[in-house]
Amino acid sequence: MRRIALAERTDWRSKAAECGFGFHTIDDAPYWDESAYYAFSLREIEHDVEAPSEELHAMALDLLDGIVVDEQQLRQLAIPEPYWDWIAQSWRERQPHLYGRMDFAYDGSGPAKLYELNYDTPTSLYEAAFFQWQWLEDQLARGQLPAGSDQFNSIYESLVEAFGTIARRLPRPFHFAAVRDSAEDQGTIAYLRDCALQAGIDCGTLAIEDIGVSADGRFTDLDDRVIGSLFKLYPLEDMFREAFGAYLPRSGLLLIEPPWKALLSNKGILPLLWDAHRGHPNLLAAEFDDGGELPRGWVRKPLHSREGANVAMHLDDGRELHTAGPYGDGPCIRQACHPLTGFDGHYPLIGSWIVGDRACGIGIREDNSLITRDSARFVPHAIVEEARGVLIA
Amino acid sequence: MKRSKTAALLLMSTVPLLLSACDRSEGAAREGVYTSVETCVAQTNDRSTCQQAFDKAQKDAAATAPRFANREACEASYGKEQCAERNDGASHSFFGPLMTGFFLSQMLRNGSPMSGFNSSPAFRDSNGGWQQPAPGGAGVYRGGAGSAMVPINATADHAVTTSRSGFGTSGSSRGFGS
Repeated sequence: MRRIALAERTDWRSKAAECGFGFHTIDDAPYWDESAYYAFSLREIEHDVEAPSEELHAMALDLLDGIVVDEQQLRQLAIPEPYWDWIAQSWRERQPHLYGRMDFAYDGSGPAKLYELNYDTPTSLYEAAFFQWQWLEDQLARGQLPAGSDQFNSIYESLVEAFGTIARRLPRPFHFAAVRDSAEDQGTIAYLRDCALQAGIDCGTLAIEDIGVSADGRFTDLDDRVIGSLFKLYPLEDMFREAFGAYLPRSGLLLIEPPWKALLSNKGILPLLWDAHRGHPNLLAAEFDDGGELPRGWVRKPLHSREGANVAMHLDDGRELHTAGPYGDGPCIRQACHPLTGFDGHYPLIGSWIVGDRACGIGIREDNSLITRDSARFVPHAIVEEARGVLIA
Repeated sequence: MKRSKTAALLLMSTVPLLLSACDRSEGAAREGVYTSVETCVAQTNDRSTCQQAFDKAQKDAAATAPRFANREACEASYGKEQCAERNDGASHSFFGPLMTGFFLSQMLRNGSPMSGFNSSPAFRDSNGGWQQPAPGGAGVYRGGAGSAMVPINATADHAVTTSRSGFGTSGSSRGFGS
């Protein structure tokens, strides 16, 4: 795994404009960054990222049968009691899931270490599935990458296949919803809807704020149609505590991601995974936080923090890092500190995409600090043939 | 190759895009749920297909029907007198709903049905809704044990909306994705 500088495509901004990529620059700061790329060997991808991703995904799902009937674990995961039966039912029915992203610390040496599961509202999907793919094709065509370079990225094909597979289980109408004013979230649901349309599913989009409720507790769209299925790019735990949350269990609405994802998109799953698979090479030691002093070599993360907010890191050398954020007062976990490796002062975090149950691609975000925040930039990657000079010699 | 062969955009792109040769113009299908071969024939005028679809559905019914440990649990979901004891061939017995109809789907070309069909048993739950076994979990999803049941689609209901903006109040300048 190497970080290689490469000239940007001169026309990438106009391509982004043509392809609906409106959030390549966020709050005047660059987000899409193709001034460099990460090069992997095929073995690094298949052996160190793809295979562990599928294994960890299966391990996480295998915990669910136990969690849904374990009051203590449901409390540890801070799931509000009124939603327990609904979540358990959604798992027993295996209500369909679409996608998730695992974040790994990996630098090409040693096993990738799982930081967390983003299994409810993962973004950076469009840029990983589409714009990164287009970057590779363009740079290959221009001879800027070694001939035969590839990319770990069948995310698009997997999404279309997944939508096609679950289509018959989705009561209609089927809508995609995100907050109205987030260009990034709106771009993500526009892309997902595009993939669903390509799978032959008729579907629309809706601002999450526009969802209505009827007198008998069913959810409606702006035409007063009762929503059959809703993809919501909006955290389940926020829905639980908002005004309409109480209607969810009896509304008849099919949610994607389904309610059972609340158990996985929760940093509390990390200590549960560690307890079940202590010493697994891709897991970091983890435990529920007791609120005491954070010893050296540990990181404290809120159960529901997103984008690296409210993380405290106490490094082995005694340095302490903290990020601000809105999740300060909730329950936390502790995870063994395994800092990201710097590449020329950049700290890449590997986002490994799971569509359905298949590990099908990665997207890399790099920040200038050890904690990956919403300031991180998306940097493309390629699988590059290993040098064959030795064989020829 | 570890990447998608193509990565098409349908609506997001401002550039006109030609879909590949196998486009969707032949994607139309005729689908129906029938309670008997006779109602199927009345609708489709195709006795041979209706009979074959019924036979296949009946053959699949025992294997794909949801399974319950006892009659009470089954009747709670499917109604009184709607359940029967079954056996999986390995001397495990369980209760499952009786097939109350069958689902038939045929692809259409130029408005006429093509040869070949899909059929599955259909079950009526105690609320009067029709269900069929979910298609098997191949491909991108790993297979699960037992058949999940899925609703056979009904047309959308309307309801008078009494309130909006009950979601989305948690507030964030940068969206909620992660």
